[in-house]
Amino acid sequence: MSSSELAVQALYSSHHGWLNGWLRARLGNAADAADLAQDTFLRLLQRTERLELKAPRAFLRTIARGLVIDHWRREEIERAYLETIAHLPEAETPSAEARALVIELLESIARMLEGLKPKVRQAFLLAQCEGLTHKQIAEQMGLSLRSVERYVADALYHCYVLRYAA
Amino acid sequence: MPVDNLSLGRRAEPQPQVVKQAIHWLLRLRNNHGNPRLNHQCEQWRAEHHEHELAWQRVQTLQAELSHNLRSVPGAQVAFNTLENSAQGLGRRQALKLLSGALLVGSAAWLARDTAAWQQWSADYATATGERRAFQLPDGTRLELNTASAVDLDYTAQQRLIRLNRGEIIVTCGGADEGAPFERPLRVQDRHGTYEPFNARFILRQEGDCTRLSVTGGRVAIHSSRSASIDVLAGQSYLVDRHQARPAPPLDMEAGAWIDGLIVTRNMRLADFLNEVARYRHGLLNCASQVADLRLSGVFRLEDTDKLLAILPQTLPVQVRYRTRWWVTLERAV
Repeated sequence: MSSSELAVQALYSSHHGWLNGWLRARLGNAADAADLAQDTFLRLLQRTERLELKAPRAFLRTIARGLVIDHWRREEIERAYLETIAHLPEAETPSAEARALVIELLESIARMLEGLKPKVRQAFLLAQCEGLTHKQIAEQMGLSLRSVERYVADALYHCYVLRYAA
Repeated sequence: MPVDNLSLGRRAEPQPQVVKQAIHWLLRLRNNHGNPRLNHQCEQWRAEHHEHELAWQRVQTLQAELSHNLRSVPGAQVAFNTLENSAQGLGRRQALKLLSGALLVGSAAWLARDTAAWQQWSADYATATGERRAFQLPDGTRLELNTASAVDLDYTAQQRLIRLNRGEIIVTCGGADEGAPFERPLRVQDRHGTYEPFNARFILRQEGDCTRLSVTGGRVAIHSSRSASIDVLAGQSYLVDRHQARPAPPLDMEAGAWIDGLIVTRNMRLADFLNEVARYRHGLLNCASQVADLRLSGVFRLEDTDKLLAILPQTLPVQVRYRTRWWVTLERAV
């Protein structure tokens, strides 16, 4: 066992129970909490840099918080997607496999757009998904054309940074 | 020309400014579809520098990927509705659940996103006695309030101002002020001075008639109308009062340990220690003069100050006397 694996093991034995409780309080569900606690420690094992052990719980909490958000995002996308397609005529309803693919795709886009202000996100999506012109978006959202232009540019820049600067 | 060779040889990442220009070109071309003059100008811009061309290629790729992905979702408005609806749901859940712990990380950013744009932003934050809270501000700055503290924020298009009205804060600069189209300096102000951080992390604590500034990372400039600015570097502390700013004598406790819910002391006088603990609890806490000069080193948890007091007799010859629930005195052990 490498020294970093040993470090994770030590973290695991002293803090696993606590982390489980922390996650359960947020997820309200013991099975999901156990899964995410497991994932948290898996993430730790995949890290190459030395573990920051001065404040192990704060450190674990940071990782777990990210996983909780991922988990919720997944749930929210699923829920919102199923709600949206519930209104479609039966002939247009996608198959289960097609649904799973679309959910995955939307999840990756949602992750990319996270952190954008709601108006920026909306303006950007109207341009990208619906192919509206900036002028149409300005009218629909009740904003000035200049704001819409800035929002769309800001959102693209945000995506650029995530895509290339990481 | 060795200098030119050097700069060409290094395959530099396009500067943010160049990326933004490339995005600007992309959007202009899209909005003025097939305008030959614009097309030509854009090509000229791309040819000016290899950095321009690289940024252009990447922005185009990104745009193509995004629109491909979004348009491969079948059904009219399905992608838009799903993403909007889920983003709102996620925002609510984060605000309600994840952030309801002792540290409200991110809630300020979330509230700000829903209530105001980045330009004009003002808010008041305060903590009660014994409470600590952390906020992620929309510009990326992290703000942590210790017990019984109050700040207000005044963000405008020209500047980002944090005013400390009471208590103690830790400010951590968050890099780029994203979303702002131009540079806005970050400044922290209290009744004794103005502090301008440069990629810094620092603690600001009001103590009676002066303010203690402890810089733990980066650099902070103290500005005052009375004298030239003073640069305080990581590891240094200054005391600022109405008349002057001067290097602070070393503390007998760890300045920022409260972030972790701790008091960490090094050979601290018991009377001083109790003054410190008193900041975190209601009521009166003091000690008899015979024990005031006893010295104390150790790590103490702040979450329950009654428990903290209860363990003192294990290391010092004292006893804890509760006259009432809120009037506590430490006396010599009998």
